[in-house]
This record gives sequence, structure tokens and C-alpha cells, in this order.
Amino acid sequence: MSQVMIADRVPTHELMTSGHLACPGCAAPLAMRLVLKALGPQTIVVMPASCWSIIAGPWPQSSLKVPLYHTAFETGAATASGVRAALDMQGDRDTTVMVWAGDGGTFDIGLQALSGAAERNEDILYCCYDNEAYMNTGVQRSSATPRGAWTSTTPASHPEASAKKDIVAVLAAHHIPYIATATVAYPVDLLEKVKKAKAIRGTRFLHILSPCPPGWKFPDEATIELARMAVACRVFPLLEIEDGVRWRFTMDDDTTEPLQPYLRCQGRFAHLTDEQIAQFQSDVTARWKWIERQVAASE
Amino acid sequence: MPERRVSPVAVSQTSTLVTKTGSWKYIRPLYQDRVAPCNAGCPVGIDIEGYMSLLREGRWDEARDLLLLENPLPATTGRVCHHPCETSCNRRQFDEPVSIHAVERMLGDYALEHPPSLTRAAERSEEVGIVGSGPAGLACAYHLARLGYGVTVFDAAPEPGGMLRLGIPEYRLPRRLLDGEIERIRALGVSFQCGVRIGQDVPWRSFLGLFDAVFVSTGAHLGKDLGLQKENVAGVRAGLAFLKAVNRGERPELGRRVVVVGGGNTAIDCARTAMRLGAETVVLYRRTSAEMPAIPDEIEEAEREGVQLVFLAAPVAFHAEDGRLRAVECVRMRLGDADASGRRRPIPVPDDRFTIEVDTVLSAIGENADLAGLPPELAVQESGVAADALGTTSRAGVFAGGDVTNAARTVADALGAGKRAAVGIDRYLRRLSDDGPNGTGLPALRFGNGNISMARWRDADPVHRINALNELVEFDDLNTSHFRRVRRRRDDRLSLAESRGGFAEVNLGLDHEDAVSEALRCFNCGVCNHCDLCLIFCPDVAISRRANGGGYDIALEYCKGCGVCAEECPRGALTLTREGL
Repeated sequence: MSQVMIADRVPTHELMTSGHLACPGCAAPLAMRLVLKALGPQTIVVMPASCWSIIAGPWPQSSLKVPLYHTAFETGAATASGVRAALDMQGDRDTTVMVWAGDGGTFDIGLQALSGAAERNEDILYCCYDNEAYMNTGVQRSSATPRGAWTSTTPASHPEASAKKDIVAVLAAHHIPYIATATVAYPVDLLEKVKKAKAIRGTRFLHILSPCPPGWKFPDEATIELARMAVACRVFPLLEIEDGVRWRFTMDDDTTEPLQPYLRCQGRFAHLTDEQIAQFQSDVTARWKWIERQVAASE
Repeated sequence: MPERRVSPVAVSQTSTLVTKTGSWKYIRPLYQDRVAPCNAGCPVGIDIEGYMSLLREGRWDEARDLLLLENPLPATTGRVCHHPCETSCNRRQFDEPVSIHAVERMLGDYALEHPPSLTRAAERSEEVGIVGSGPAGLACAYHLARLGYGVTVFDAAPEPGGMLRLGIPEYRLPRRLLDGEIERIRALGVSFQCGVRIGQDVPWRSFLGLFDAVFVSTGAHLGKDLGLQKENVAGVRAGLAFLKAVNRGERPELGRRVVVVGGGNTAIDCARTAMRLGAETVVLYRRTSAEMPAIPDEIEEAEREGVQLVFLAAPVAFHAEDGRLRAVECVRMRLGDADASGRRRPIPVPDDRFTIEVDTVLSAIGENADLAGLPPELAVQESGVAADALGTTSRAGVFAGGDVTNAARTVADALGAGKRAAVGIDRYLRRLSDDGPNGTGLPALRFGNGNISMARWRDADPVHRINALNELVEFDDLNTSHFRRVRRRRDDRLSLAESRGGFAEVNLGLDHEDAVSEALRCFNCGVCNHCDLCLIFCPDVAISRRANGGGYDIALEYCKGCGVCAEECPRGALTLTREGL
């Protein structure tokens, strides 16, 4: 069939409710919704400060039908380690403990706790939904913000100067059993990766690109398209890394789209000159080639 | 007193369902089916998207019935139509158009092998006479019969079918299929009186008095003259008369070399027929291949079979010896500015002449309607009967359609005209005003700006449409990220030797499996086919599936109006509307 039919491959049960407080068109609740579909009800979510702390709803409400533990910004992985230990003490080896953190709570503030948990190979699934800045507090840059992007702390006159931190390489260096990247534009790919991660013991890390309409400055309805474009133009390659050493692309075709349309439809890149876009392109190409070398070395 | 245990941390006990985030929105999504461009582009007015969708679900009988609701001759049109549906297919802009003609052909053949019991409206007392049994007359008869009327079809020829039987060669349309499709019309109660020329054997005045309404579809059978001297010399023949003779079973003597003048389907039919009778055949056309009105596949087949095409040339003189044609003298042409038809006008290049030795010239530069044989007091416009969209003429109760009017001269246009006239006659006999049975006027019966839908006229559309909007879906309205490129299946062909050696059907169509694959390539433009993408991509968990495949519900009290569902809908079946307006 010409249309890629995915209805049969997406579980119908919902572990998230309507009425959550995400902005219209936010990819983060969709990411959570899909991840929970794959994990099922026997899941405990640990959530450091992030947009999702708000999305989950004000006390006494919750938008999740599974237990959700709010915790401090820097403590996602540490708290999850504790929850895991408590479950182990009870003999519960089946409940999945999942950290759900933004890029701030992962790349910056929570990195120390994450590194520690990964180094100890704690039996947790750590999901980072990455919207590439501190969106909840008003779009301040994080170390996940791409070079050249506008944020409220990197204005167009002085846009983000550093390249985006290569978080999957950081995690790969910890040699944890499973790392994957995913986006909401490819739900089946995302679900398969979560199911695979669920079946593995040890620290598992899932990096989900999560387009943010107000922070990236694009129309609400374009969220899925943005995620799709990020993959197609190789800004966000879809991959899996086992034990930190076996790298693999998970896209089924190796065509590449130009970067220009992806950048030009986002207000945060509106100030970029053609030369700066060319620079951006060469960064993307260089990273792709570096990943290709990792993949080649794995074969 | 029992000790009350207090949780050491605040624990949420309720869900966010208490927060009605729907109040945030200023646009709202609405499921709204629209019109696929194939439906609008079909001169017959077939619900192509509808039968493709039914085939996708394996509902063959329903697909057949839906096709037969609009088109009485699908096995025929699947073979001989110029398929403008494929020209308008949105898939053309993605990879290649869906091979609609091949799917229609397969369904048409299926309908002959598995005859349906055709539904008829309640019987009516009025009788309608139809003069001419070509595609227009057959369509009008078929639809009127299904609308409950008594219908008698008259034709001067010994058998019904008009140009389908007289003009189109057997290798394009095997007669057993045409016979089968006409038989289906006969089975509806339509009676045929062949070998009777109305206006000659029966005077029009008395004929008109026999019926409550009359449909005139006598076609265009008079070949246009080339306007050259010695056109009456032995060896110069009218192309259509030649085709009719061969189709009657005659094998006219053509000599060794034949030149066909013209670029339409009659010219190509003449050339391929002459070639089958053993002649070396050249087609002379005054414009280039780009302007040729013949069906491109037919031109390609002609070339494959060995017909030589000479472009930018026109005959200027015939040279005869002993009263018999020996050569045709031609002048080279060049293309000037566009004429009224939008095609570039051919202009002779003086002194650039050449001569072709030839035994027979077949002129196929078009046909005129025989206006002398029409009912009296019928207004004529240019070279055809003046008739409006519903076939209404200047005489009350007399309707006209097909080649005898100034409509486009294709089988599909004739079938469409016959259908519109059936609606016109139904409206006339039931004394209905401009409004249809549902209070809908003619524009509402059309597929977008295309032909009318009999399903809508009968208020019996078997396809469930949601908030149907009579508006075309353009390619830009689709989200093609959800589609893969899939090559269009090519029709099977008879071998070259077998093609040239006789009148066996050349185009063998697609086998069932490939035809179904083509149906699966259909985008289903504008019509929800329950692919679930809107539901899967909704960030607000606000879309749910109704039971029994009845579409989707949107929880508007939670939908924030982000528009992701409409944006991701692959087929443009979701519309965003302004909130509160």
C-alpha cells in the first residue's frame, strides 16, 4: 500500500488524559503519550523540573494514569535510582522506572546525577524530551540549543555560539546497554525503541527531539512536520547504540533533504545569513559523517 | 480515635480532565470530506475515489455497483476512454497517476462476469424515445430506465452501439464486451428498435407524438472534406466510412501504400486498421505530436505497430492517373500563434513541398453532425444542436446530447451528456423546478466543477460522506509525507506479431492483482479512510474512534485547536474553521 499504515502498530490504550497544560501543538505530551503506550501501566515516572512539571497539571490533578514523582531539577536520575532500589527491596523487578526530563534537566542541571546513574548502570529508563532550551521559564538557552539559534538569553544580535552538546555520545561513553534517538514524527520507530528499551536491564537512554512552537517560533500545526524535517535533513539522525559501541542508523532510506527549509520555517533561525546556514550545514554533515564512522566501526 | 495517616508529600488524586483546555482554542478541526480531482475530471461523473476506496477494502460488489450507478459501460470506457481522470489525478504530481482506466476496466469486466441486480426507482408511466444508440443514447436510456421510465431506443444501424460499434476498431473494443454491456441495459427493460431511421422511416412529427419526451443523440457521421481538387478520385476515401466498412466485416482493397490525413482518434484508428489489412501506412498531421488530439497511448501503439507519423505536413493536391490516385502532394507546415482552441496554428511554408506515392488516402480530419435529419424547429448553434447542460433544446420535451451537439466529441463526454439529459428529462417529466429532490440545484449535483452525480440526484449515495463539501482537493492540500512512491503498473500488451496480424485486442489491461495494487495507490483525496493518523498525532488525546468504523469524535472541550490533525491528514479530509464564527 502506498500509504504507510501505522494504526495497527500503535496501541490504543491511553495512559495520559486530556486537559494537560502543554501549549497547543507541543510535541512533549505526544512523546509522553506514545512512550507510555509502549511501556504500559506498570510504570513509575520520575520527573525533574521541566515544562512537563506544568504539563502534568497542578495539584491535586495529574494527566498521567501511572504514578508520577515530581523531583528537583538536578535529581532525576538519582531519584529514579532510589525508586528502583525501593522496588527491588520489595522484590518488584517488573515495574519500569522512567525518568522524564527536559534538555535542561538532562544536558545541564541533571547531567551529574545522570552520569552517576549511568556509571552505576542503574536499572532505569531515562527519557530526555529535548526542546532545545529552557522553554518553561521563557526560552533561555541550554547546552542543547543549536549553534546559531535565538533564545531570550542569546538574542539575534548574539545568537547561540556553541554547538549543541552531543548527549548521545556522552552517554555512549558510559557504555550503557541501550541508547536511542526518536521523534514524534515516526511513532512506530519510537514505540519499537521504547519496547526494546523496556526489555533491557540497566541504564537505557532515549533522546526524543520535541519541537516547541513558541520557543522555536513556528505555527502550532507544524510540530510533526518539523520533527520529520529534522530527521530528513540529518539535524537529528535516528539511531541506536548498544553498549556504547554498536551504532546503527534506524532510518530505512538514506536520502537527505536540504537544511534550508528546516531552518527557514523557524523564527529562532530567522536572522541566519546564507553563510551561517552553510556553516550549520557543514556542522550537520560533519556530525553525520562522524556517526557514519561509528556505524562502520560497529559492522 | 483512629489515627489518620497523612501522606508525607502532596499526592494528586484527580486527573486533569477537570481542566477544559478547549477554551484556549480559536480554530477548531472539522472532519469534512471533499472532492477528489479524478471525480471532478471525469466527464461521465463517476465516483472514482469511492470505488477505489471500496476496492481497497475488498468490497468488490459494492465497488462495481457504485461504478454502475454512474457509468453504464465501464468495460467499454476502461478500454476506449481518453481517461482525463488520470490527467487530473493528484498522484501525477507525486510519482505517476493511478492507472484508473485499468481499474475501471477490471471492474467493468467483473460486472460482466458477476452481473449485479441493478436497482430501479419506482416505475413511472411516462415513455421516452431515444434516437441514436451511441454512448449518449445508451447512457440516457440506462439512467432513465433506472429512474423508472419506459425507454425505447431507435437506431438506423442494424445493431445498437453507434460509434462504439461502427467506428471503434475491434482490436480496441472486443464486440462481445460491448454486446454484454448493451445486454445489461436491455435487461433493465429498455427496448431497442434497430434499422429504423427516424425522420425518414418514421416522420419526426408522428414520432414526437409517441413519447412524453425524446432524446436526440444521432452523433456526427459526415466526414469533413479535405477541400482539395480530385477528392472524388478513386483511392480517396472518408476515414470513418472505411472504419465502418471494416467493422461490418468488409476488407476493402487499399493497395500497398496508405496515407491517413488527420491527428485524431479516427486517424489513428484508420492507420492501425489499414496496417492490419497489409498496407504500409503513413499518418500526415499538420501540427506536431504535442498537439495531436488522439489518445497518446494509441499513438504510441500505432508507432509500435509500424505506422509512420509525419508531422507538420498537409496535403495540397492529389495526382491521379487513369482516374486512379497515384500520389499526394504535401506542403510543410510550421507552428504559428495559438488559435481559438489554444493549440498553435499551423502555417504552410510556401515552396517546401514533397510528394508521397500512394494508393489510398483516408481523410480523417473530423466529422460533422447531419443537421438535415433533425426534428423540425430545433435550434442549431454552429455545427450542432443547441442544448444546455441538461440537454434541453429549443423544443419542449426534446432533449439532445453527444456528438450531435457542440460538446467535446469523446465517448466519456457522450456518456456524461446522456446522464445529464436523463436528469433533465426526469426533471421535465416530474415538473420539478431548478431544485433537485433534496432542494439541491444542479451545482450541488456536480462533483466539484465536474459532471453530475446520479447518486446525488437519486439521493442514494451508497458512500458515507462526512459533512461533504463540494470542493476540490488540490495536491497542496495533501500531506504526502505519509505516502511512499510506488510505480504505476503498465498494461499488458499483445505481442507485436499478433497485434499486426489481426484484430485481436491489443491492450490486455492489468491482471486482478496489479489492478488492486493500483487501487491501493489511490490517495483517496479528500475522503477520510480511517487511517487513524489524526488520532495518533493528537497531542491532547482529544480524538477518539467511533464504534463500527463510523469515523472519529473530537472532544472539543479539550482540543486546543493546534491543527496538527488537519496538517497531518494525508488526504485533506480535515478542515480548520475559525472558532466562534
